[in-house]
Amino acid sequence: MTDMKKRPGADTKPVGHVTIADRRQFLIGAGTMGAAALALGTGLGIRKARAQSRAEISFASAAFFGKETFGDLIKAFNESQDRILVKNIELPPPSSSTEVYQGLVQQLARRNGTPDVFSQDVIWIAGFAAAGWALPLDEYFPADKRSAYFTGTLNACTYGGKLTALPWFMDSGMFYYRKDVLEKHGGKVPETWADMATIAAAAQKAGDIDFGYLWQGKQAEVLVCDAVEIITSNNGAILAPDGKSSLINQKGAVEAIQFLHDTIATTKISPQDVLSWDEEPSRQPFTSGKAMFMRNWSYVWPIAQDAKASQVVDKVGVAPLPSFPGGKSSACLGGYQLGVNANSKQREAAIELLTWLSSTETQQRIALNFGLAPTRPALFQDEKVKKEQPFMASLEKVFTGATARPITPEYAKVTLALQSGISKALVSGNVQAEMDALAGQINKIVG
Amino acid sequence: MTAAATLPGAGRPRRLGKALPGAFWALILLTPAFVSLASVSFYPIVNGLYLSLTNTSLITQDQDFTGFANYVQLWGDAQFWNAWWHTIWFTAASTVLETVIGLGMALILCEAFKGRGLVRAAMLVPWAMPTVVTSKMFGWLFDGQNGIINYLLLHAGLIDQNVNWYGSPNTAMITIIIADVWKTTPFMALLLLTGLQTVPNSLIEAARMDGAKGWITFWYIRLPLLMPTLLIAGLFRALDAFRVFDLVYVLTGGGPADSTETLSTLSYKVLFSTLQFGYGSAVSTAMFITEGIIALVFVVYLIRQIRRAQ
Repeated sequence: MTDMKKRPGADTKPVGHVTIADRRQFLIGAGTMGAAALALGTGLGIRKARAQSRAEISFASAAFFGKETFGDLIKAFNESQDRILVKNIELPPPSSSTEVYQGLVQQLARRNGTPDVFSQDVIWIAGFAAAGWALPLDEYFPADKRSAYFTGTLNACTYGGKLTALPWFMDSGMFYYRKDVLEKHGGKVPETWADMATIAAAAQKAGDIDFGYLWQGKQAEVLVCDAVEIITSNNGAILAPDGKSSLINQKGAVEAIQFLHDTIATTKISPQDVLSWDEEPSRQPFTSGKAMFMRNWSYVWPIAQDAKASQVVDKVGVAPLPSFPGGKSSACLGGYQLGVNANSKQREAAIELLTWLSSTETQQRIALNFGLAPTRPALFQDEKVKKEQPFMASLEKVFTGATARPITPEYAKVTLALQSGISKALVSGNVQAEMDALAGQINKIVG
Repeated sequence: MTAAATLPGAGRPRRLGKALPGAFWALILLTPAFVSLASVSFYPIVNGLYLSLTNTSLITQDQDFTGFANYVQLWGDAQFWNAWWHTIWFTAASTVLETVIGLGMALILCEAFKGRGLVRAAMLVPWAMPTVVTSKMFGWLFDGQNGIINYLLLHAGLIDQNVNWYGSPNTAMITIIIADVWKTTPFMALLLLTGLQTVPNSLIEAARMDGAKGWITFWYIRLPLLMPTLLIAGLFRALDAFRVFDLVYVLTGGGPADSTETLSTLSYKVLFSTLQFGYGSAVSTAMFITEGIIALVFVVYLIRQIRRAQ
């Protein structure tokens, strides 16, 4: 893990930047001196024009690391043109997402236009839009420009019929399987949950594996992700399309949660421990070769392929998650998307930065240098991405099923209710009763 | 005696003249301390109380005075009462266990034996550890699949299959209490040890000469004299246990099925995840009031003890 977080280019990169920047500084200095000399003769007109020509805006984002940082990205933008100067505001890393959220909310609530551009977790988009902090982007990004992005991501970026965020990079839930064990049990990646359970139970019974299927049942955000996936794959939903009432006590959702409960209680393909597991505790038994199937995010792949940390190198495959008969595979959408502050005083400049950050070139750079997957399907066919990030390039199919978590400005309250209610259902097994209670609670929050 | 009696009388007129500027200077000198205390302690409490009477939320940008609406909502909030009971249960169980075990440890450490200094210092190690480290450690010890506790119990034949300590509502809270007892008992032992050392040896010797055995000495001499210390230590511990946060936050996040949700974790979620500062402050105020009641009960007992001793 620490190896991944190191920045190999960190020693050399800034040197290059510094020399370029120094030169630039020198040129700017020379320029202003010349301008000042001119101003003596022609009045202050020119000087004013110069100051106006470089609009100053700010960009705030959670701090991601890779071969470079977002600070390097902003530097590159500043050097690519001479009209806009962007100041980078670094927020805490994405692992402290509650703190990132607080930091953003505090700045946006001041309504003073700082930061002009920001990146936001998909689950905050509706809240920021409803508070009037995010500028609707429809006029800048009409339908023809939007078609270049994944539909699921666009949905997550839309609130009240308006596009209030621009897709940037993404992740989603996916289905990991053990190729070698599956070979013994039919060799075909299961496409329905029932098939998955049958194969997993058979493999477990045959003693090929300790656990059939691993998922995340801890009372935490990840439980909501697991639930969104399985509920959507049964044509169910947590919220009605208008976002004003809950459908979690309807048949589709109840069946799905019942299936999760059954993996522990009836089919016994999952250990009872999943009820206290989030991502890492469920990843460990899988990469140590104890489990056949697992639902998790894309970060597991490099670990599974690392001989130092994994017993299953070259034995792991990834596929879209199974679905119920008549339903479609669904993957919970994660990742950070871009927004423009509605109170920004430099709207045009902000849009320009936004466009640049989400452009094909920058998304490719982010994919290659940060390992964060692009939101433009076309990039998955890109030769360079295919060559340097072959795993990422193979995920296009998985990401096509990416589904947003409930889109509501009250998401923070809804998710706490969901975590508690679903956890109760999984523990007690009274799925219908718990889902009825949960629906009542959610209706009170969003209604 | 006479000097003391005459001095005030003789000195009074002159002293009164000096007393005013004296008090004045004292007040001036106290002001910085008062201002700093008021700004970091008094102001936040009052502001918290005020916030709890508003519907302040960073998300909706509301900031209106709503009177006791938050408290009415709190009264009917099942999640709050769920967390309240868990916190009371945690506080009672951990305080009692820590007091009893701590007392035992203190009695042992009070005796003279070889290497006592070393043992006294070593005993404090768990208490000196950051709680987050303790939490991670207990997370591994009680891990449902690979935990050493399950391994030992299984091989000792006490259980016939792995217990899912943190994943089952029946055991999650108990496991957290065990972790807390391990961590904080040394603190209790230390406090009680200092109390035990104030018990005059002459009393114990006198009792021995009268033929009292160990248990009788403890029950009729040491324990009554230790009572004030015991109560103060218990009060400290109960108030501290009531705020339990790190253990729950790291180990279970309040789950499964809300079975380990405590008031601190609940108010953290309401305040900082949903950013409802108004309602969150009401939860915190309710916590504050409950702690006040706990403290009151202890203090009443304590005063009664001291009176009886006199």
